[in-house]
Amino acid sequence: MRSPVLPLTWHLARSAGRRGLQSRLLAAGAAAVGAFVLLVMVAACLGSGARADRTAWRVPDAAPARAATAVQATTTTYVRHKPVTVVSLAQLPDRGPTPAPPGLSAFPRRGEVYLSPALAELVRELPARQLADRFPRPASYGTVGAAGLASPDELVAVIGRAPGDPAVSASAGSLGWYDEGQTARAGITGFAGDKPSLFTGADQQTALLGAVLLVVPVVVLAAAAGRLGAARREQRLAALRLAGATPRQILAMTAAEAAAVGAAGALAGALAYGALLPVLAEIPYGVGSWYTGELWVGLPWLAAVVLGVTVLLTVSAVTMLRRVAASPLGVAQQADPRRTRVIRLVLFAAALVYILQNTEGQLSNRRLIVLLALFYGVFWLFGPWVVDRLGRVAGRFARRPATLLAARRLSDDPRAAWRTVSGLVLAGFVAGFFSVTQLDIGFPEHPDQVAVVSQDAADARHTAAEARTLLDRAGVEARVGTVDDDDFSGSVLLGNAGVVARVSGGPAQIDTAITALTPAANGRLPVSQDYVSAPDATVTDRIATVSAATLILSFLVATASAGLTAAANVLDRRRVYGLLRLAGTPLKVLDRARVRETVLPLVVLAGGTTAMGVFGAYQLNKAAGATVDSSGALQLAVCVTAGALAMLAAIGASRPLLRRVTTNPAQTAD
Amino acid sequence: MSIVLAGHGLIKKYGSTTALAGVDVEVAARDSLAIMGPSGSGKSTLLHTLAGIIRPDDGQVLLRGERIDRLGENKLSALRRKRFGFVFQFGQLLPELPAEENVALPLMLEGVPRGQAVARARRWFAPLGLDGLEKRRPGQLSGGQAQRVAIARALVIEPDVVFADEPTGALDQHTSEEVVRLLTSVTREQGAALVMVTHDADVAAHCGRILQVRDGRISSHSQYTVA
Ligand SMILES: Nc1ncnc2c1ncn2[C@@H]1O[C@H](COP(=O)(O)OP(=O)(O)OP(=O)(O)O)[C@@H](O)[C@H]1O
Ligand SMILES: [Mg+2]
Repeated sequence: MRSPVLPLTWHLARSAGRRGLQSRLLAAGAAAVGAFVLLVMVAACLGSGARADRTAWRVPDAAPARAATAVQATTTTYVRHKPVTVVSLAQLPDRGPTPAPPGLSAFPRRGEVYLSPALAELVRELPARQLADRFPRPASYGTVGAAGLASPDELVAVIGRAPGDPAVSASAGSLGWYDEGQTARAGITGFAGDKPSLFTGADQQTALLGAVLLVVPVVVLAAAAGRLGAARREQRLAALRLAGATPRQILAMTAAEAAAVGAAGALAGALAYGALLPVLAEIPYGVGSWYTGELWVGLPWLAAVVLGVTVLLTVSAVTMLRRVAASPLGVAQQADPRRTRVIRLVLFAAALVYILQNTEGQLSNRRLIVLLALFYGVFWLFGPWVVDRLGRVAGRFARRPATLLAARRLSDDPRAAWRTVSGLVLAGFVAGFFSVTQLDIGFPEHPDQVAVVSQDAADARHTAAEARTLLDRAGVEARVGTVDDDDFSGSVLLGNAGVVARVSGGPAQIDTAITALTPAANGRLPVSQDYVSAPDATVTDRIATVSAATLILSFLVATASAGLTAAANVLDRRRVYGLLRLAGTPLKVLDRARVRETVLPLVVLAGGTTAMGVFGAYQLNKAAGATVDSSGALQLAVCVTAGALAMLAAIGASRPLLRRVTTNPAQTAD
Repeated sequence: MSIVLAGHGLIKKYGSTTALAGVDVEVAARDSLAIMGPSGSGKSTLLHTLAGIIRPDDGQVLLRGERIDRLGENKLSALRRKRFGFVFQFGQLLPELPAEENVALPLMLEGVPRGQAVARARRWFAPLGLDGLEKRRPGQLSGGQAQRVAIARALVIEPDVVFADEPTGALDQHTSEEVVRLLTSVTREQGAALVMVTHDADVAAHCGRILQVRDGRISSHSQYTVA
């Protein structure tokens, strides 16, 4: 005999009418948003890793001197504060041929210059004495193809040199920690290096950090979507139960329907992701926008996300319905309020102590992610406990009916109340965490300096004279002086001997000075403050980008789930709300109670987590001398306010629904 | 005997369905009226019209001689809150509120301070046989107990009229009997009128009068003498 479950589910779904359709559409919409956000997160993580790998060829893959077929010297110069990676290559005479670097069709011959498309455009746009003159000027430039680039926006130049050229000589190599990640030279046999560039190396871990922070809100959203249709299904299925359907059949029907809705929504989200790939690829991260293909996660991931969201929705719907299946009348027979035990507080406190003890000093990204996940985990336990206490305290002191209703509801089902606000509460933590910026106290900054490294003091004096002539000829106004190798803080050379030009004027003058001084730099390129700041600035910048994106996305997702939950609550409680309204209870009181049951825990918990986030970040950065700067504090205030307002709006959105379901007396009373 | 509530020539149509086709009723203080009739005959519509929940298309509803059928929604809502009490079949109590707070809620809505409201609510528990159940939540009460809490809530504001739509519809025979006995006696002691829809003749028999409704009209009107 065939099971009647599927045909029956289909029949019920079709006969559910317009409101049933609406709630199903909403649930599917939430599933779509969840799947979309998850896919974007996965894409950002995988994509930033994959594209970082495409920069690995630029770091010389050192070969033994006897075996090397070519010399590679990579360095970084800055134009308008943006890094330009310059790779100089020289084929060694009487050695075997060297393969072509990624993005080029052949190993470059001396005098050839290849530019990435973005750099080629910049070279066209800016006067030659600001940029183009830093490199040899061939009759025409070649192009570095996508295979050698992480992003269409990357600025990369590949230059073919003679083996004796200063640009590939030993003096063009690394001076040690000063050049870490930006300048290196070695004999090579090919481009098989696996160390990603300084500018892409931190991308993946930072993206992962954002992903971890976003998983919780997305899960909550999918669960809220699963609950959405529950009230309607409950009524119909209660009727079926009276008609003799077994609990198992009812659960199967619920699961089938929720799975269908969830899968449809998740597929729509996946389609949207696919369709929006070109748009997503335009969103800059780190070195710039993306090659579209880099953001394609592949079918297995796509399937996994769709499946995951579907399962979440189904599990949530089935869990909601278990009680109907058990009680034929479908009346919520919740005998005891769900108490929360003190063990939650104890676990939270213990975890907090553990986290505090383990965040002294520098932390690896991986460890940070683990600690963050732990914090989220214990907070997930702790939240309901706080909501419960809050409900009891507010219940004791409430004077207005709306407050009393809200308070009683909080302590009646603290977990449900917690779920509603959890997204925003945890987002508050993120907001607090990232409002603390690391104050760089490493070395003072010298944004007006352009400097050239010299071998020693004598060389420096000689170079200084040359530099004055060069700058003068270029029309750059600058004071030129020499620095010794014991001066660590006076110049951008940080303790290397050399010549420093203090340039007056803006970025254009700095760029002109760098270009003008290039011939005096012994095969290296002149350095500016950007060169010195890059290692720290890159990480800080990535974290800022990811945290902003994470914040916006988690606020959006959290708001969506708060709105959904509010709507689901109205539908769940339509009978009691309707009857209270028949008996003359003003709609305003019911509505206020609804708002308060969200706002109370939100204010207390989000306030608490935001403070904790600030504290946590402060703790982490203490060694480096952290401060909450005014822009960070402002950003935080704006974030939290915007989040709270969005939340209120989301709850307000179900006000018409509340009005509608409580208006028709015939439907309510029978 | 003073007429508290009266409906004259009440007509209500839903599209082509005529739910009320010209109904006249009057209820006096301490009077109790049972409305009976087959399903779909217009019982609930009549009760809702008299209670100012739905507006008749034609006819008048008078509370102590004043017309209420043309009042605005806010005034009607306030009127129901202050002058009427309601008992429905089930599901009218807020599940997360203890019984005493469910009963005190109408008072709090009227601005009675919470402590006072709860104290006044508690006074109803003993007469309705609910002693010791003040702190229980609706989910921890039996169906009959929950209905008695609902009765307390309907009466706590000292209404002019109590409306009950199938108040025993979800109860067994024995419990029905007990609940309706309390409902009628307490309402009368309170000096309020009672209008009750029921399909159960044994329940109706507790009322002073029985109105039979059929196709939106009164088909018979019988008078009982209640002990
Ligand atoms: N909101 C409405 N829209 C359309 N028709 C309605 C509406 N409310 C009631 N009716 C119709 O009016 C008629 C009377 O309905 P009413 O609810 O008063 O019946 P009832 O006597 O209470 O029935 P029951 O014993 O089943 O509760 C019915 O035919 C019903 O279908
Ligand atoms: Mg009815």
